[in-house]
Amino acid sequence: MSGLRSGKRLHPELRFLGLAGPGAAFIVISLLLPLLSIVVFSFWRTESYELYADWNLDNYRTLLGEAAYRTFFLRSLVTAAIVTAICLVCGWPVAYFIARWGGRYRLLLVLLLAAPFFTGAILRITALQGLLGPIGLVNMTLVELGLPPIEALMYTQLASGLGLVYLFISFMVTAIYLSLVNFNFELLEVAKINGAKPWRAFIEITWPLNWIGTAIGIVLVFIPCLANVVTPRFLGGPDATSFGMSLSQQFGETGTWALGSAMGVFLFLASFAVILAIWPTIKLKRSGFTGAVQQ
Amino acid sequence: MPNAALELDSVTRRFGPVIAVDRISLAIEQDEFFALLGPSGSGKTTMLRLIAGLEQPDEGQVRIAGEVVTDLPPYRRGVGMVFQNFLLFPHKTVAENIVFPLRMQKMDRAQQQKQLGWILELLHLQGLEARYPNELSGGQQQRVALARGLISRPALLLLDEPLANLDRELRSEMEVEIRRYQKELKIPFVYVTHNQEEALTMSDRIAVMRNGRFEQIGAKTEIYTNPASAFVAAFVGHANRLDGQLSEIDGGLARMNWAGGQLLVPRPADAKSGDRVRYFIKHEDLEVTAAGLNGGGLNGHVANDINQVSGTLRDIIFKGQTANYIITLPQGTDLVVSDTPRTITLKPSDPVIVRWPAGSGACFAAEGA
Ligand SMILES: Nc1ncnc2c1ncn2[C@@H]1O[C@H](COP(=O)(O)OP(=O)(O)OP(=O)(O)O)[C@@H](O)[C@H]1O
Ligand SMILES: [Mg+2]
Repeated sequence: MSGLRSGKRLHPELRFLGLAGPGAAFIVISLLLPLLSIVVFSFWRTESYELYADWNLDNYRTLLGEAAYRTFFLRSLVTAAIVTAICLVCGWPVAYFIARWGGRYRLLLVLLLAAPFFTGAILRITALQGLLGPIGLVNMTLVELGLPPIEALMYTQLASGLGLVYLFISFMVTAIYLSLVNFNFELLEVAKINGAKPWRAFIEITWPLNWIGTAIGIVLVFIPCLANVVTPRFLGGPDATSFGMSLSQQFGETGTWALGSAMGVFLFLASFAVILAIWPTIKLKRSGFTGAVQQ
Repeated sequence: MPNAALELDSVTRRFGPVIAVDRISLAIEQDEFFALLGPSGSGKTTMLRLIAGLEQPDEGQVRIAGEVVTDLPPYRRGVGMVFQNFLLFPHKTVAENIVFPLRMQKMDRAQQQKQLGWILELLHLQGLEARYPNELSGGQQQRVALARGLISRPALLLLDEPLANLDRELRSEMEVEIRRYQKELKIPFVYVTHNQEEALTMSDRIAVMRNGRFEQIGAKTEIYTNPASAFVAAFVGHANRLDGQLSEIDGGLARMNWAGGQLLVPRPADAKSGDRVRYFIKHEDLEVTAAGLNGGGLNGHVANDINQVSGTLRDIIFKGQTANYIITLPQGTDLVVSDTPRTITLKPSDPVIVRWPAGSGACFAAEGA
């Protein structure tokens, strides 16, 4: 077809593999090996901070049998669900506003969303602690004004949940925004001319056509929230212990690595289940998604 | 008289310093196929958007079937609209796209299906119901868009260059089709185009738009044969343009000095002797013949109420039913004559004479002269 040279060239797939290879290898090694090792450890046994390779299911029995772990997991699950819902409800209008009316400031506004990341998670949480805690800005102001402080904000599950929203909402906004910038807003005008009120046009057109971005946002918020360790430790009280926090204790304080590994496997499976649940709802070809899938 | 299907009353829309639509008044009758013709940026799309309710006028009033809709949102106006880029909903099937307006009206499902069957048949879309827009050809997509615009039998259908993205053959096929739907359904169509042939083929009445104003509005034959301005004369049909100076006024006619000779042209309103003018004569109004033995040298000559000029045939552009004869005049300008290719047997570089009835064509005071 295109003459002499093309015959001697590598297939494009092969050349691409050459480029993608190192990155792919890094991802596989850095993701899969640790995962494999925790799967293996989860069937082992720990005794006085030592791992012993005698294969058993005790860790899983403990995990599923003891009420505390169930509570931790349910607490994490419910928190993640609520936090994701809040991020969704608060994030959508923000993303929509930026994509629709941000004009030439769009990119700047989205980058601003990432500004808190410049400082790192712990610092941000500490800042939030300074805001919500007993001697934090909110409560100190109230006390100064002669009002009682809001107890619910001091080392509670609520505070921990608020911290999560604060940490993750920008992921949600960014994911939805990236979907909306590829959305053809003229379709909304078409819907309105054809008799759809604005909310109806949103349900019929905007929401389904931006479901990919929304779903990615949900996954990006829900899964880290499920595994969350930081916010209960810094903002939550004694009744806020999350599954992730308990998990990290197995590797730290208690040194029960095998049980911790089993918890990790469990968490991985739970996250995987979330992705499996969302997967069938995504129809790339019909979504107006611009990256067409090649057969 | 019953209410007009659509009335605009001195409607104005500005975008900053640009006046996109400038005090436009218009009435469109039931059953009418109305074309809005104008060059890019003349305000055609803005006018449709004002009618649809996608834009609010800064001044003026819009009435649909006698009802004032100026402040109504698009979803309460009951008009349909078809766009150049189709704008089908990519996540809905053909059937779902088409019944969308009916669903919004909360029509019951049985009735929806009945209407769907009817419109699928009318637009030859049977068998495509379950497809998605990305599985259709451009022509099919445009039919689906038309079906969606027509299924609810709107009070008015607005079409914004609906054929501009289709290839030429499909376009002429669709021109005929769209006119047929309009005549069958008796829904008034407002059809925006910058293609004068499309406007002439399809419509009953044409408004020629320029800089947000109507340059002329009237029956298409009127626009074609009696252009009201130099702009319309140049934009509609294919005309030769001759710039000259009036020398003598004679009732409705005037003599124009042109290229060292004289032509008899219609007298522009209020024209005086000595005015600079621009004269338009359509390609098909001219007739070309081989120059006889005594031929040459007739440069701008009026005899027996015939204008005639002589020149050299430079090229013949065969177009099928007609041919364009390009004739170079002694002073270097070109005239184009459109004629049946069989009638004459001329070869390039033959000396020829071009004739046309004196006083035909259109003549206007030269702009900015
Ligand atoms: N939203 C807008 N903001 C600013 N100016 C606009 C806007 N819409 C239209 N205009 C201006 O109004 C004028 C008319 O535009 P309009 O789109 O109506 O032209 P048109 O006749 O449809 O042209 P085309 O044939 O290219 O589609 C143009 O000068 C355009 O730049
Ligand atoms: Mg336009």
